[in-house]
Amino acid sequence: MNRLHRQPICVASALLVPLATLSSPSWLTISGVAPAWAVLWLLPWALVDGPVSGVMAGLGLGLVLDGLSLDGGSQAPALMLLGWWWGRLGRRAAPIQRSLNLGLLAWIGAVVVGLAVLVQIWLRQGFVLDLGLRSWGLQTLVCQSLMTALLAPLLVSLQLLLWRRRTPG
Amino acid sequence: MAPSLWPGKGRWRGAGRLTPWLLFVAALLMVRLSKGAGFADAYALVSRPFWPGPAQREWITSAADLEQQSRLQLLEQDNQRLRGLLELQQRGNSDGLVPAAVMSRTPRGWWQQLELGRGSSHGISAGDSVLGPGGLVGRIASVTPSTSRVKLLTAPGTEIGVWLPRSRSHALLVGQGTSRPQLRFIDKDPNVRPGDLVSTSPASTLLPANMPVGVIQSVDERSVPAPRAVLQLIAAPEAIDWVQVKTE
Repeated sequence: MNRLHRQPICVASALLVPLATLSSPSWLTISGVAPAWAVLWLLPWALVDGPVSGVMAGLGLGLVLDGLSLDGGSQAPALMLLGWWWGRLGRRAAPIQRSLNLGLLAWIGAVVVGLAVLVQIWLRQGFVLDLGLRSWGLQTLVCQSLMTALLAPLLVSLQLLLWRRRTPG
Repeated sequence: MAPSLWPGKGRWRGAGRLTPWLLFVAALLMVRLSKGAGFADAYALVSRPFWPGPAQREWITSAADLEQQSRLQLLEQDNQRLRGLLELQQRGNSDGLVPAAVMSRTPRGWWQQLELGRGSSHGISAGDSVLGPGGLVGRIASVTPSTSRVKLLTAPGTEIGVWLPRSRSHALLVGQGTSRPQLRFIDKDPNVRPGDLVSTSPASTLLPANMPVGVIQSVDERSVPAPRAVLQLIAAPEAIDWVQVKTE
């Protein structure tokens, strides 16, 4: 079986994540908050390629995205955790392909990434989040997870279709 | 297959197979440590044809006239009181503005930043102030040779000292993630009201002196230990295509 991580074109598709993050098209935002592009790429990757590859892809994406954003929190731990979890789901459970399931998994992924960032901000603020930061955090979390879940059925289904064709068996 | 005379050989072959992946992870770590230098520069190269045109530069020029008038008024007031700090004022007013196109912006979300199409090769360095039409937008957080990253005033964790010319009081501007940052006063009775202009401190050594920042929108007198206020920024980062970087 030809695994995804051995196909350069599939690995290169990860470059779309930093590209989408930097371009951040305003028509794909809710209240100015963009979807979690890393989650939308990592979910089908881990489902098709397994937990180890999911963890490595989560680490790689996390390092690149941390490099492209201000200091203040890392996405890498949450993405690695999600890569491992989705990889196990893809290996052990029946193939996941229904739009609702993909949307739900993407929503959970965006919530986990957002909560991880929020916890790191909380730690940096000395275990205190005042009212302004709390309401901003909640709004960002809701907007990003909703946008990610709305895009997942379209984008993740397409990636699953393409990548499952490239890894028969 | 005959058994190998070198029992460790298989283990080393496994390590050799891992080498490309270790190199790959090391390369990603380099990207992380260099604050995305390669990616940001490549994005600047690819997106250069789509950068905003010169129309907004004219808009900035006309807005800069208005900004200069308010600065002049502030300077005249401060000139009487701060004769001893005249040297600081002159340094704050000297030229050294580098115009830069905004090639990527995320004014909302977890990281509130702008990516500019000018970097260290144009004289920009970390800590420089970034001015939009009308006032201060943020400060340079990191630079690559051809790009720079701006931490907006609205970003959580942003803290700068500001000055209220009417009441002659100091305050701390704190980014809250929302489009309206918070002002925390030191005095218990700062004598401020909605509509007051907020600028950078005339004695500031980190930021250009007397640079307009925003207007007070509301004041919470009952906040403890000291009153707080909500600030409406003059330069809104959502609509800015060109900025000027004040180099040291």
